Amino acid sequence: MANFNIDAKKNMTYDAIVIGSGISGGWAAKELCESGLKTLVLERGKLVEHVIDYPTMNNDPWDLDLRGAATADEMKERQIVGRSGFVGENNMHFYAKDDENPYREEKPFMWIRANQMGGRSLLWGKQCYRWSDLDFSANAKDGHGVDWPIRYNDIAPWYTYVEKFAGISGEAIGLPQLPDSHFLPPMELNCVEKDVKKRIEKEFPGRNMIIGRVAHLTVPLNGRGQCQSRNRCDRGCPYGAYFSSNAVTLPAANVTGNLTIRPFSLAEAIIYDEEKGRAVGVRIIDSETKETIEYYARIIFSNASTIGTTQLLLNSTSNRFENGLGNDSGELGHNLMDHTYRVGAMGKFEGHEDEYYKGRRPNGIYIPRYRNIDEKSTTDKFLRGYGYQGGAGRANWDAGANQKAFGGEFKDALMKPGDWEFFITGFAECLPYHENQVTLDKNNLDKWGRPTLVIDAEFKENELAINRQIQIDAVEMLEKAGLKDIVGFDNEHGMGYGIHEMGTARMGKDPKTSVLNATNQVHAVKNVFVTDGACMTSSSCVNPSLTYMALTARAANHAVSELKKKNL
Amino acid sequence: MQRREALKQTALFGVATTLFPSLIQSCKEVSRLNWQPQFLSVKNAELISALIDTLLPKTETPGGLDMKVDMFIDLVYGKLKDQDGQAEMDKEMNDFDAKFKEKFGGRFADLSPENRTEFLMMEEVRSPKFNGSVWGTAVGTQEPVGFYRNLKSVALWGYFSSKEIGLNVLSYDPVPGPFQGCIPLVEVGNTWSL
Repeated sequence: MANFNIDAKKNMTYDAIVIGSGISGGWAAKELCESGLKTLVLERGKLVEHVIDYPTMNNDPWDLDLRGAATADEMKERQIVGRSGFVGENNMHFYAKDDENPYREEKPFMWIRANQMGGRSLLWGKQCYRWSDLDFSANAKDGHGVDWPIRYNDIAPWYTYVEKFAGISGEAIGLPQLPDSHFLPPMELNCVEKDVKKRIEKEFPGRNMIIGRVAHLTVPLNGRGQCQSRNRCDRGCPYGAYFSSNAVTLPAANVTGNLTIRPFSLAEAIIYDEEKGRAVGVRIIDSETKETIEYYARIIFSNASTIGTTQLLLNSTSNRFENGLGNDSGELGHNLMDHTYRVGAMGKFEGHEDEYYKGRRPNGIYIPRYRNIDEKSTTDKFLRGYGYQGGAGRANWDAGANQKAFGGEFKDALMKPGDWEFFITGFAECLPYHENQVTLDKNNLDKWGRPTLVIDAEFKENELAINRQIQIDAVEMLEKAGLKDIVGFDNEHGMGYGIHEMGTARMGKDPKTSVLNATNQVHAVKNVFVTDGACMTSSSCVNPSLTYMALTARAANHAVSELKKKNL
Repeated sequence: MQRREALKQTALFGVATTLFPSLIQSCKEVSRLNWQPQFLSVKNAELISALIDTLLPKTETPGGLDMKVDMFIDLVYGKLKDQDGQAEMDKEMNDFDAKFKEKFGGRFADLSPENRTEFLMMEEVRSPKFNGSVWGTAVGTQEPVGFYRNLKSVALWGYFSSKEIGLNVLSYDPVPGPFQGCIPLVEVGNTWSL
């Protein structure tokens, strides 16, 4: 593993600065470095080198006194992310301490931060789906938000480009609403999933149940190993089998010799030069020493995560931009979106008792959107649509807690696998509402003296109407698929739980109503690019990360081309 | 904080008594524990040990006490619960023993396996159940399941995540390789431990 150049002292000026090293920042760094640009990546947290800095990757439960649970004191520092149910002793070091990074929730909003090299690319769900023109034309069609300045054809070659390098496994089935990717071989469905798939597809023409499309290698690629089904992804993968900046894009950027990465660098503001009419650099606070330093570059990519980028832009004020860099439209901070989450159904499957599976597949099933995709499937109950994730598995000893038994026989029976269970949970598109917003709170500063954020956002009637349908359909599909003891559920808890926050610096055709243009440049400051989730104009119902990758690669290559033409 | 200090003193006192065995003579009850709780009171630790022995007795496979599940619960109590959680569990343990005493006239830890079994069957019937969960979170509105079912759940966790059970009794495979979705159960035997 190559060590990274972290010496940002001898050189204060670069060709490009990338703020953030997560999924999109890693791609920006790779593309810019490979194009020959001397690139500085500013990372607010610590370095995390692939494999070297994965201290818990091989822990078995009994290797830790508390078998992987985090202590009450540790959870007290992580009360926001603690709501997710995802945090434990083995992955805690990859989640930011919430008490050190406060924000105010006007309405419940779970903002999950991962402040280290690689960011949330170490922790993400790896589900990768292309968006379609159903998504890119959605705003134009029903009038919510503004129209995307791009269509599927603009991004399709870039999807292919990033998929070939990231490695996406899945099955091609030719759905127009969910275009196929350039796929590695799909992961296998288990016995029950295969049965349920057959029944759902037979009972509900137009609905499909497929294996999840994921950024896990099912065959080796570019020196990375294939998935070993350990399902310990959130501790870092020793094989580099899943896509992360740490395992994939940053090492690629590094081998060019053009990369410098500076850890503990909290971007405070993008520096705007009034005379030149362009951004000239980034002012950072060293998060350890609290020293303020300025770095300069021809182009700047902001990839600090959706809300992080917008916080930075709002805090980048000047005479020209009193309300935040590039905020001529007044839309900066607005139109925050997420997917609804935790509405669905679960049940038991009778049969296949003599069968089992081998491996802890870090993936499940996917039911692509089937509502409002054509005239026949159109409903007047809500706009847009939803898809489902889920999966089947056999219960283990955990099921014993509810059984009306205890003692020796009970204990020994729990050594064998229990019932087959199957569940699906929906992910619904969220409309872009102007009033769902983040604003700076200049009266409450963080420990580095930066204004904190106020997040004021909620799902509204359209999302709640979709959620109702998600549960109805989920129960119905499970019934028709022959499941027993079906339980429908709606555990929607406000925004942020989907961890798909999008919007707040949207792309658009018109500078009067949007922040970014069709190539992710700030309309009024063309040498500043935003290619993380902040750029999203609508939210689709499918997972957004693959689209961030494609938009980033596309924008970075546009930036290089414009630099060569001396347009930037 | 006071609670925690009090516990520390209890622990210190426990150490002291081993140095001065004569002091024990004056105590009414002699602890039957063969371990020193770090966080639980000795009385509550005895209750936990007796519960573990009743829930998960030794058979052909090791019992809960062999796997030190009672000591694990002491840690769970001390490290996973905050002060409020500890106070609540103290109260629950007191209430549990009081209910038991009302019916059988003695402490759970002191009476016969028959009494204990009869009582736990009653607890099984009256304790609410856990809702199902998706990706680490319970679905629906979870009604409090109470001390007994919570303890049972933690006991199962402690037992089945212990090294001996995980490594040598359940089917252990830290690096399974490519996922195989449908294989005969007989090829695996017991549940996968990981």
